[in-house]
Amino acid sequence: MKYEIHILEERCKGCGICVEICQADVLELSPEANEKGIQVPYPKKPENCLNCGMGEMFCPDFAIYVWVNDDEEEVRE
Amino acid sequence: MVRFPGSKNSTHHHPADPLLYTELLPTVWCHGCGIGTTVHAFIQALKDSSVEPKKVCVVSGLGCTGKISTYIKLRSHSAPYGNVVGRAAELKKENPHWHVVVFLNNADFLLTGARDFIDEAQKGTDLMVLYINNFLYTLNKTQAFPMSPFIRKSVDGKFDLPFNIPHLAKTYGARYVARWTPLQSGWLKHSLSEALFKREFGVIEVVSPCLMFSCDEGRIQDAGEKMKFYDDRSEFCYGENTENLDLRKEGKIRVGLFIESGRPLQEDHS
Ligand code: SF4
Ligand code: SF4
Repeated sequence: MKYEIHILEERCKGCGICVEICQADVLELSPEANEKGIQVPYPKKPENCLNCGMGEMFCPDFAIYVWVNDDEEEVRE
Repeated sequence: MVRFPGSKNSTHHHPADPLLYTELLPTVWCHGCGIGTTVHAFIQALKDSSVEPKKVCVVSGLGCTGKISTYIKLRSHSAPYGNVVGRAAELKKENPHWHVVVFLNNADFLLTGARDFIDEAQKGTDLMVLYINNFLYTLNKTQAFPMSPFIRKSVDGKFDLPFNIPHLAKTYGARYVARWTPLQSGWLKHSLSEALFKREFGVIEVVSPCLMFSCDEGRIQDAGEKMKFYDDRSEFCYGENTENLDLRKEGKIRVGLFIESGRPLQEDHS
């Protein structure tokens, strides 16, 4: 995948801002809570990612970022 | 490969990591607090601008906003009892080549800091003041005070107007005045990098969502809804006359850039 979404679970507070802000419907809060009782988001449709960087920009806890994999081609339907 | 749901073994780092004390994360702020987003915008602005991080100094004071200097890996100072702008001006005087950034909040401003703020604005000291206004004072949800637009009433039951920070700053000679909410994160970042670059007294007010603040509709505890509340209420007024920027009860939060290089953006604005 060209755009890899990385979520640092140990930093996330599960506020869901990144899920709200994402226009491409990539993220979703995971149904199960982790050991801290936090529903960490996960990339539900990672192939939709446009690398707009909005979730990264809005996350108050520096917990999510997009890493561009230069070795791979961008696939668009 | 996408690691689900976290990426503990990731070999990459968050782009903001070089400027953060990462071992202290997650931050102490409530989930959905606007301060974190503001700090992120500041870090991105620092990376975008040509300013050397070594020359940047961060000063913060009391309360939630005061924790900012704990997380940023820059020269940082904490000033007690609202003496934040005064302390920053001292630092600036000792080290004229530094870019001094001040994170102010309502308590810092209203306790004793307002006088220093006005003094330094009049002197035109090169400081960048980031005023984080979360409509709250010492986490008191019901007490009205000079910054609370939605709950403060005068004796005859009318709503009082809160301080208009951009107008106050302009009146005392600030040369760069803007107001944003963290929902305009991109604009905020742009504004910050502009103000960092300019060597003059600049004030950027950030109307920040705070989960403790309750308005008439009750306290919104969901972070997404809270953000939406501020997004719906903000109105883009680029170059608006600062007199019209009061935060009224039913009114909009008017955001934008108002004064640049000491001049209003629209001279003939009526
Ligand atoms: S915005 Fe950040 S802290 Fe909030 S749910 Fe998303 S990754 Fe977690
Ligand atoms: S109390 Fe308000 S300002 Fe303080 S961390 Fe929570 S949301 Fe942020």
